[in-house]
Amino acid sequence: MIGGPDGIRTLETSNIGASPVDNRSNSNAILGGLCVLAAALVAFVWVPLDVDSGVVEQVRRRVQIGDSLAPVTAAVFIAIGGLVLLLVERRVPDQPAFTLRNLRFIALSAAIVVAGFLIMRFTGPLTVDVVNLLTGGELQYRLLRDSSPWKFIGYFIGGIFVVAGLMAQAEGGITRKNLGIATAVVIALILIFDVPFDDLLLPPNGDV
Amino acid sequence: MGVGDYILQGILAFFLGSELFSVFGIPVSINIAMVLAGFLIGIMVGATPGLAGPVAMAISLPLLLSSFGYHASALLPVLGFLIGIMKGATVGGAVPAILFNTPGTPDAYMTTLDGFPMAQNGQAKKALRIAHFSSASGDTFSDLVLFVCAPFLAIIIEAHLDLPEKTALLILSLSFIAAVIGGSPAKGLISTGLGLLAVFIGTGEDFYPRLSLGTDQLARGFPITTAVLGVLILGAIFEGIENLIREKRETGSFSAVPESSDQVLHWADIRRLMPYISRSALIGTAIGALPGIGSTLAATLGYTVGKSRHQKRKSPDDLDFGTGAPQGIAATEAANSSVSGANLIPVLSLGIPGNAAAVFLILAAESIGGFVPGPAVFKFTTDTVNPELVIAFGLFTAMAFANVLNWTIGGLFMRSMGVMIRIPKHMLLPSVLLLTLTAIYIQETRLEAIWFALGFGVLGYAMRKLEISPLPFVIAFILGDKLELSARRAFSASGNDPFFLFSTPIATILMLLAIGVLVYTARKRRLEASA
Repeated sequence: MIGGPDGIRTLETSNIGASPVDNRSNSNAILGGLCVLAAALVAFVWVPLDVDSGVVEQVRRRVQIGDSLAPVTAAVFIAIGGLVLLLVERRVPDQPAFTLRNLRFIALSAAIVVAGFLIMRFTGPLTVDVVNLLTGGELQYRLLRDSSPWKFIGYFIGGIFVVAGLMAQAEGGITRKNLGIATAVVIALILIFDVPFDDLLLPPNGDV
Repeated sequence: MGVGDYILQGILAFFLGSELFSVFGIPVSINIAMVLAGFLIGIMVGATPGLAGPVAMAISLPLLLSSFGYHASALLPVLGFLIGIMKGATVGGAVPAILFNTPGTPDAYMTTLDGFPMAQNGQAKKALRIAHFSSASGDTFSDLVLFVCAPFLAIIIEAHLDLPEKTALLILSLSFIAAVIGGSPAKGLISTGLGLLAVFIGTGEDFYPRLSLGTDQLARGFPITTAVLGVLILGAIFEGIENLIREKRETGSFSAVPESSDQVLHWADIRRLMPYISRSALIGTAIGALPGIGSTLAATLGYTVGKSRHQKRKSPDDLDFGTGAPQGIAATEAANSSVSGANLIPVLSLGIPGNAAAVFLILAAESIGGFVPGPAVFKFTTDTVNPELVIAFGLFTAMAFANVLNWTIGGLFMRSMGVMIRIPKHMLLPSVLLLTLTAIYIQETRLEAIWFALGFGVLGYAMRKLEISPLPFVIAFILGDKLELSARRAFSASGNDPFFLFSTPIATILMLLAIGVLVYTARKRRLEASA
């Protein structure tokens, strides 16, 4: 489930779609250890190296809270959470397992989205280059990014790639029907986001 | 201006907003149209398994901002639309639960236990009528409590809480949310810490934006939409797609069940259901008023309490809970619907969001400007007009109007939404993902926002897999800056007292409560583990 009218229901308390639990999993201990380690790195390495002021600062005889206090507090939250996992919740039954299969799934999903948006980013300018090559013109995508059909090229191709790619991942293969649905979805999104609004830019037209 | 004047101004602001069109010379305000549109979309979204209110709110927000602009006059139509979605989705969730044994939203799961058997017995329409009546009753009761409690709570807070107490209250809220959501206080703390860490990147008072690794991209910080939508929506979409792959859920046809003759909700039925509805409405409202506790818990508690009463008082002819008892539907729907209004009590009186819907209301208010939810809203100034208070009463009017819609056309529209179940999830989820990313891009107009959102989406997915609730992350992300600012001011106002959080009795009590709630839940968890 994606969300609920009140949100919380969706996001944590439902068993629907919960990850499989494994009675032998010691994920709490591993997660707790990683959190303590990460919190220590944040508090003792990242913050000192990448924040200008300390936890408290003396400025013209006045002591004030520095920029380091807030991230160190965040690290303390993570560290306490990690410690409680390690010391209190290490042996609770039915701990969730983050498997290699989960990792493969999310890596592939993210790769599909990244590839789709890279296609989106470069298809429009590349099309203009090809047209220039064929016609000998001197068109620039940047000047065309708010005019049809140029502004839709990248979003159209990249959007279809993302939607059809994820559908194919869910179904185990790409079908003509899915391609048709992905095309319809992208056209619908163009109609929703671009046609009624003059001041909105579809991706990637704010970047090119 | 007196209290009555403010209330009247709020009502007029809602009904006499910009004219959209007129009927027989009577102008119809854009606010009315927006609440109606939001409400109907909300029912559709709630009735679609795999979608729900916060998704629709997230996607519509940039479109609304683009349409109405960033002026105070945009507040009522935009927030009215979002409130309409929130309320519509609450009602709509029961439709697939009853008709197809598939809850539209997780808190409608308990509705399937009696709703689907009723539908199988040929009483689908009656079950939908019971769900609608119970849901509308619970929602209306919850709103009435909100209208009365939020102003009083805000006035008390503004009168009695100074900077140290307000800082301690924010810490207590974060601690409470970390402790109660998801069942593991440790994971709640981790989620809160990650949210705080994320919001502190690229911010601060120094010339150099902290934790930005010297990059321009991080120096601007993470846009709030990327963090909120990434962790909440994208993470859930990824998990949803993976579940589809794993379960290989069948979306085949549903066998038609012949309807029985009695599909009407009689007065006798209502009298029989009212004790269950009223108990559940009280439970849901009490739970909703606490930030971070969701309607799934309310539904479960309402159902459990209703079941216990039913077992004691039922006649031999009555069906048991779980076998098609109308009381089961009533107890569940009244409880989960009564959470939504009460959930706005901490938002309007404290400025603290308790759930995802409230997060989007705050996001909208912050984006538009001119209305900062919190105790300052309810300043009843007599010499000058407090425009925020007028907006607050305008919002209450919008909620009351949405309730009128719910009572009048809500049931009919809800019963026509059974068709939404037929949208296959494997097509819906990727489409919603592209829709969400597009909505993020048109707000931020840079691809970095997409990469950030994707990163947060992966984080949200991993958190779900490890049973870490993403909601404390989101709430911490929203409250982080506020907490830091409040702490800086309190520290300065206390004359640089390092123990400023314990400088007054109220602040001390709040801090002890913050620590106590974590210790209590951790101990409880340990006892459960060793049992």
